[in-house]
Amino acid sequence: MVPVRYNIRSLFVRKLTTGATAIGIAMVVFVFAGALMAGEGIKRAMGNAGRDDIAIVLRDGSDAELSSSVKPEVLGMLRERPEVARVEGREGVIGEVVVIITAELADGSGGLSNVMIRGTPAGGIEFRPELKVVRGRAPKPGTNEVMVGRAISGRFKGIATGQSFDLRRNRPFQVVGVFEAAGSSYESEVWGDADVIATALGRSASVSSARIRLTSASQFPTFKASLEADKRLGVEVMRESDYLKKQSEQLQGFLVFMFVAIAVMFSVAAMIGAAITMNGAVANRTREIGTLRALGFSRRAILFSFVLEAIFLAALGGAVGTAFVLVLTRFQFPIMNFQTFSEIVIGFRATPTIMAVSLGFSMIMGLIGGLVPAIRAARVSPVEAMRG
Amino acid sequence: MNLATYARRNMFRRRGRTILTVLAVAVAVLIFATIRTTLAMWNAGVDEAASDRLATRHKISITMLLPKRYMDEVRATPGIAASTWASWFGAKDPLKRTPFFAGFAADHETWFSVMTEMKVEPAVLEEWKRTPNGAILGDILARTLQVKPGDRLVIQSDIFPGDWEFKVVGLYTPLKRTVDRNSMVFRWDYLNNDPRAEFFKDKIGWVMSRIDDPKASARLSREIDKKFDERDDQTITMSERAFSLSFMGAFSALLFVFFVVSIAILLIMTLILANTIAMSVRERTHEYGVLRAVGFKPGHIVGFIVGESVLISIVGGVVGVGLTLLFVNGLMGPAVEGMGMFPAFRAPSSVLLFAFALAAGLGMVAGIIPAIRASSLKVTDALRRID
Repeated sequence: MVPVRYNIRSLFVRKLTTGATAIGIAMVVFVFAGALMAGEGIKRAMGNAGRDDIAIVLRDGSDAELSSSVKPEVLGMLRERPEVARVEGREGVIGEVVVIITAELADGSGGLSNVMIRGTPAGGIEFRPELKVVRGRAPKPGTNEVMVGRAISGRFKGIATGQSFDLRRNRPFQVVGVFEAAGSSYESEVWGDADVIATALGRSASVSSARIRLTSASQFPTFKASLEADKRLGVEVMRESDYLKKQSEQLQGFLVFMFVAIAVMFSVAAMIGAAITMNGAVANRTREIGTLRALGFSRRAILFSFVLEAIFLAALGGAVGTAFVLVLTRFQFPIMNFQTFSEIVIGFRATPTIMAVSLGFSMIMGLIGGLVPAIRAARVSPVEAMRG
Repeated sequence: MNLATYARRNMFRRRGRTILTVLAVAVAVLIFATIRTTLAMWNAGVDEAASDRLATRHKISITMLLPKRYMDEVRATPGIAASTWASWFGAKDPLKRTPFFAGFAADHETWFSVMTEMKVEPAVLEEWKRTPNGAILGDILARTLQVKPGDRLVIQSDIFPGDWEFKVVGLYTPLKRTVDRNSMVFRWDYLNNDPRAEFFKDKIGWVMSRIDDPKASARLSREIDKKFDERDDQTITMSERAFSLSFMGAFSALLFVFFVVSIAILLIMTLILANTIAMSVRERTHEYGVLRAVGFKPGHIVGFIVGESVLISIVGGVVGVGLTLLFVNGLMGPAVEGMGMFPAFRAPSSVLLFAFALAAGLGMVAGIIPAIRASSLKVTDALRRID
């Protein structure tokens, strides 16, 4: 085998060419890893909050809290179910009101967007242990106080601590705090009192959805089957984790597909770049290759050596790309979720798997780009090459 | 021998490398044009939205409805030529043949006389007015749902429970490329008279009004909103164009990312091109020394090198534009239209021209540094280099 040092030194001798090719590959890896990180961010935003031992009840066929309504008598019936976990001081069943409102962006552009407002009953905040108030305080139940999720705090006019916005004429809601919810999509919502919000919007006694804490996750199948079998109720039952996943699958699929498609197209360009560079390297080093062959290195060793060099070159770019892509974790971007008509704010999330996959992706680019030049190198005839 | 001949001959000295470089430029042009086409299609909705039409809806939320009697007050506003209304139905296909399509209930007397870009034959319109459960579909939706005029169609809703049965009375023809061909219109009174829509009785989703003078749209919008300012249900009125524009903000981050990505591919292309030229120049340093020695000026050397770079990128640009036509207009466009995401997905000629011009321009940029380095070398040094 040709010593690896030979390849590494060869790369460093031709700094400009190596640099240009590596930067090209780095950009491709940046786009590729960025796409996966955004996908992970959505998964985290939508999937993280969901729990397997919480069931969500919606009106049959509504698919989302926004278009669903659950009658008070159904809510009362749910409270009587044996599957409900009854822990002292914690609600087992909560009914919530979910609406979207049109809000104006605070950046002065005049742009409009939809914000989700969640009215939760007393005990609704405690229902989610991951929820933490990070600034100000939690709203008092039964008042017009609300708190805003960290992701959209300050993004809209009137929706920031100390400010107020109208849900109806002369019905101002006062923002008293900012909360976090482990990066979930709750952080893109505004939370207030269920009854006060329902009254302000002139809604009837129905709530949008009911969430039930089950005594254990294994209770779910029987719970679901017995509720859905009763046609008079007209409800559909889902695990909260499945529900949240379903709410974002189209958006996540769209984003990841879009950007991975772009990254794959990019990689074609980068592979051509790597091939050009390696081709040049082989052409310039014909004499060297001839010498190596004359010294007794086999064709296979030469082939392997040049493929390795191409992979090194690409991995160099890949390392730079994956290092720089970590900068993205400082950014988050708002995007419209078509399924819920409202905006969610997504951060880029880096995981070791994504980093490893991205680096592997760069090495595959090097392998493919370097294969043909390496075959050429292996075919060099020692006699002719040394003759010059 | 002139500059072009020299550049052309040089191009084929390393045929494999040149072909690869041309390919890289072509792929970059393809990617750039694809992304820019997507952006252009996205913006087309705003660019082509009618400015002589006002939309009025509930101020607080798109999910809240307005009392039907607001219609008469909007119509009574001086400067309004005609008004119509509709309500969102939240339609979905029970057989799940399409994940999403727009379905709404509209006033059968006035809808198509205000929404003039959806053309309906007079006979179909007459039939619709006679058929309480009549529905008119876009051609793409009709194909997806496999229905033709006269057929029965069962649709469900995520707002109203149960099955809803319609009779397809005809199709509408889009007169503008931004018209959604994946939608369905049925009669508002059919929805309003159904007990399952009891909680939305005599309520309407939004009002569309045609105005006499497009320049008056801002003033008329304010006048309409002022009428309802003291009521429980306040309104927000904007020209269709202003509405589309105001909701673009929700996608601005994504569009910005697309924009950045399209710049990145140009950078990669320039790097690859510059690399190729730098390699060629390095191999030919000796030659350039000879050229200088026989009397060519440094300017000539710059011309030879930049000329070769531009020539490669022009060829790459032409191939790239060809690939774009093939891929975007031939493959991706029909697929995207079939899904109903964009009404008409074709690469605009402005995008193709821009991509080509950028490729040629960046070809020049990529050649400049190696060219200057080669031309500023001393003749004796250049001749000494034999590698």
